[in-house]
Amino acid sequence: MSNEASLTQAQRTKGMSARERKRALVAYSFIAPNFIGFAVFTLGPIILAFIMAFTEWDGSNPMKFVGIGNFSSLFADDRFLAALKNTIVYSLFTVPLTLVAALGLAILLNQKIKGRTFFRTVAFFPYVASLVAVAAVWNMLFTPSKGGLMNQLLMNVFHTEPLKWAAAPNTVMLTIILFSIWKNMGYYMVIYLAGLQGISEDLYEAASLDGANSWQKFWYVTLPQLKPTTFFVTVMLTISCFKIYDIVYMLAGGSNGVVNKSAIVLVYYIYEEAFRNWKLGSASAAALVLFAIVLVITLIQFRGEKNYAND
Amino acid sequence: MKKKVISTLLAVSMIAATLTACGSSAAPATEAPAAEAPAAEAPAAEAPAAEAPAAEAADEPVTLKWALWDKDATVYYQPLIDGYTAAHPNVTIEMVDLGSTDYQTVLGTQLSGSDASFDVVTIKDVPGLVTLANKGVLEPLDSLIAQDGIDLSVYSGITDQIKVNDTLYELPFRRDIWVLFYNKDVFDKAGVDYPTNDMTWEEYDELARKITDTTPGSEVYGAHYHTWRSTIQLLGILDGKNTIVDGTYDFTKPYYEMVLAQQKDGVCMDYATLKTQGLHYSAAFYQGNVGMMNMGSWFIPTLIAKVKDGEAAAAANWGIVKYPHAAGVAPGSTLATITALAIPTSAPNKDAAWDFVKFVSGAEGAEIMAGTGNTPAMSNDAINAKIAEMDGFPTDANSKDALTAAAAYLEMPANEKSSEIETVLNEQHDNIMNEVSSVDDAIAAMNEGVQDIIGQ
Amino acid sequence: MRSKTTNRRIGKVIIYIFLVILALIMLIPFVWMITASLKLNKDIFVIPYAWVGFEPRWQNYIDIWTKIPLARYALNTVKLTLIVTLLQILTSSFAAYAFAKLQFKGRNILFLAYIATIAVPWQVYMVPQFIFMRKLGLADTHLAIIILQAFSAFGVFLMRQFYEGIPDSLCEAARIDGMSEYKIYAKIMLPLSKPALSTLVIFTFVNTWNDFLGPLIYLTTDSKKTLQIGIKMFISQYSAEYGLIMAASVLSLIPVLIVFMALQKYFVAGITTGAVKG
Repeated sequence: MSNEASLTQAQRTKGMSARERKRALVAYSFIAPNFIGFAVFTLGPIILAFIMAFTEWDGSNPMKFVGIGNFSSLFADDRFLAALKNTIVYSLFTVPLTLVAALGLAILLNQKIKGRTFFRTVAFFPYVASLVAVAAVWNMLFTPSKGGLMNQLLMNVFHTEPLKWAAAPNTVMLTIILFSIWKNMGYYMVIYLAGLQGISEDLYEAASLDGANSWQKFWYVTLPQLKPTTFFVTVMLTISCFKIYDIVYMLAGGSNGVVNKSAIVLVYYIYEEAFRNWKLGSASAAALVLFAIVLVITLIQFRGEKNYAND
Repeated sequence: MKKKVISTLLAVSMIAATLTACGSSAAPATEAPAAEAPAAEAPAAEAPAAEAPAAEAADEPVTLKWALWDKDATVYYQPLIDGYTAAHPNVTIEMVDLGSTDYQTVLGTQLSGSDASFDVVTIKDVPGLVTLANKGVLEPLDSLIAQDGIDLSVYSGITDQIKVNDTLYELPFRRDIWVLFYNKDVFDKAGVDYPTNDMTWEEYDELARKITDTTPGSEVYGAHYHTWRSTIQLLGILDGKNTIVDGTYDFTKPYYEMVLAQQKDGVCMDYATLKTQGLHYSAAFYQGNVGMMNMGSWFIPTLIAKVKDGEAAAAANWGIVKYPHAAGVAPGSTLATITALAIPTSAPNKDAAWDFVKFVSGAEGAEIMAGTGNTPAMSNDAINAKIAEMDGFPTDANSKDALTAAAAYLEMPANEKSSEIETVLNEQHDNIMNEVSSVDDAIAAMNEGVQDIIGQ
Repeated sequence: MRSKTTNRRIGKVIIYIFLVILALIMLIPFVWMITASLKLNKDIFVIPYAWVGFEPRWQNYIDIWTKIPLARYALNTVKLTLIVTLLQILTSSFAAYAFAKLQFKGRNILFLAYIATIAVPWQVYMVPQFIFMRKLGLADTHLAIIILQAFSAFGVFLMRQFYEGIPDSLCEAARIDGMSEYKIYAKIMLPLSKPALSTLVIFTFVNTWNDFLGPLIYLTTDSKKTLQIGIKMFISQYSAEYGLIMAASVLSLIPVLIVFMALQKYFVAGITTGAVKG
């Protein structure tokens, strides 16, 4: 340290940049093991897929460059527009509702209560259970006939007409949203649980000394401290909502695997284009649209996170 | 400002580096087909020339890779292989099970690029055939067929319905026809005569209503329709006046109206419930409270097996009859699905593969198929008799006769737009059966949607 | 004072009632899986579903071992899952440290590129990726599955977010003490991130364990296939053996639940263990 202090201004800048370079090298050495594998096997094919968006390709014949042709035919396709709309509606409801449910569960199950491990495991269960089983149980509760539990509830307690749930175009999205919250909240609860462990007990003690009640502690300590976790959960939730596929196939596809315009989502459309019609160019174009939407949302959230970091 | 520029540059250069890294390795993958395409046509033209030396070198050991699904659950693969290798001891056939549920996806991916290694691939359905043929990964078979003088008439017209761009890319080895399964106990209990091989749809409807019992808790359903569109929509093409890829679908109306009325009166189970519940048609039939069910002949071996092991005890007393027919049309027209073999353009042993395909789809293969209780694509009285002889097959004369079809229409004939047309038809079928749209509106939507696709 | 404790008690009771109801709702699928695994296929999807009072068919649990080579598949799955989880943990926590605690040029852009790729559905780059892997001779190898799963951006993102929550002052203090970055990572960050590591282990384990499409596309040799492919083998073209599917699914769920419950104990506050004060 004392040596450095005696350096001239010019030497110092030079020294700084050398040190900076060394620091960068250290940083890259941390990133390299994961990044190289990731770049070669995932990023590469992804970039290729983006190039594919501007071509016509069936996986075998030579690629044919078509400019933005894929995009203009996408936006002229009713099924794509329906998929886009459904995916946005689905995400708009599912992201915030799952987030709140997961956070609530995590806070509840972070308290010292008896059987905590049991309850945590149970909450995580629908996420790991076989989708066939979860969907079968769900369909049992939400069966479109009058005998279903939910319809019984609607008729006898709320005195409303029974609903056809997944069988009717106006309620199928609602059914899918409810289902996915139920299935996935345990997953995000786990992330929040881990996040909650990172909050220092000292902060709560200090807040108590200042006379804060539980609500204030939650609002002024827990939430701000959970911000990196919330950023992660929001981004991952948004992405997974935009990539929803199997739940729709399971609930709305039924035994004949037909997903109607009322329930079709982007990835299902992409799947159809890619593997039923073998239009990989068109599928990639649809994926690029999905990617652009998610990127914009993520950038906005990233801004928000950085602002927090600067505060 | 400067910092930002540098960091951006750095990131860009990193991405660029990876791009070139994978670009160099990915490029041959995409360019390869281009180089391959002209080459792929050549062997087809040269095939006759190549044939002779191959026949001479018949003793050289060859291993054929055969892509298929349900390896262990399907009874005829091994007998077919055994039958072939008995006559060709130098050939080894390796089965590669790609799974049944995503077969088309996996096969399409495996055949992408230029260095796939399958010699023979099974084609599951017609839309699957069309997409693979359009991808250019299947070998055209016409010149081989002409050269070996194969008589296509034994396939009773099916091969005309599976031509893609006037070219045949597959030879069928299995053909299932749709028949009407019925539970004799249900009819006996209601004191109603069994269905016959010559019924009109009106008579069928009447019969279904006669045996129906709507008492809650002990319902008997006169008819059962699985959720596929083929169970209802395709009844309309059996009079031979329309096809499913024409672009007009008004002829489906009477059949939808019949089934919707049955659904309303509790003659058949509710579509919406069936679909969300995911009840399999076999499970429905095994319950013993379904009188009649239209289904493909593939259900015969399964049903026999399940009666034997007791799961289908309530439906042990079953029979089949021919599909009902429209008034004024001769009986015996029905729907058919085929399973076929094709040879990929990238196949390492094309000649040996073609020889195997000829065997499986030919008379010897048909004999073996029938011996396992499955209906081969090559259909004749002797083969039908062999199936009817199977232990567990109903003993009445009508059931045996039901195996013969006067005319068989493919569920989906080969068409450039098969899979897109199917999407529209499926969607409207769902709308009608869920009672979301009226029959007229849905048919109008089918007409418009399919005409749009054809017009493209 | 007294009313406060009664209030608290009432609060506790309400929480418990709520939790028990919630647990019931969450547990129904599990009960369904177990009951279905003890039934004949035809009795599974009928209405009304028989939750009790049917004769359990234990035969399903015997049949799954003989109808498919389940033991072989399970072994393959265990092998893949362990390797992938290990690699994922090592490489992502390592990379995440740089993204969270080191300053270097291009950090944000690189990080965003990582996250953004998570948004690309696998279906669109599956085909080029497959062709590429086959060129490398990796088709039909376990290595292909390991490579696909082990270097995901997900793990980096998850770990980076948890490291963000650890005060920078800890690292600064260590740097002043002359610790190298590698040492800081190993001695300070890793021990502090047990909850996050546990989370990552759970998620990676579950994902690899349940992965279906990847192994299905890549693994064509029977002896290399995995548990999930095996379970799907009970669904054939014309029939589906749901009794057997559920029996195999129940068994395949056990390792997942064990891992989850075993890692539970790390979900306890880690950061107050004197670290900040020291």
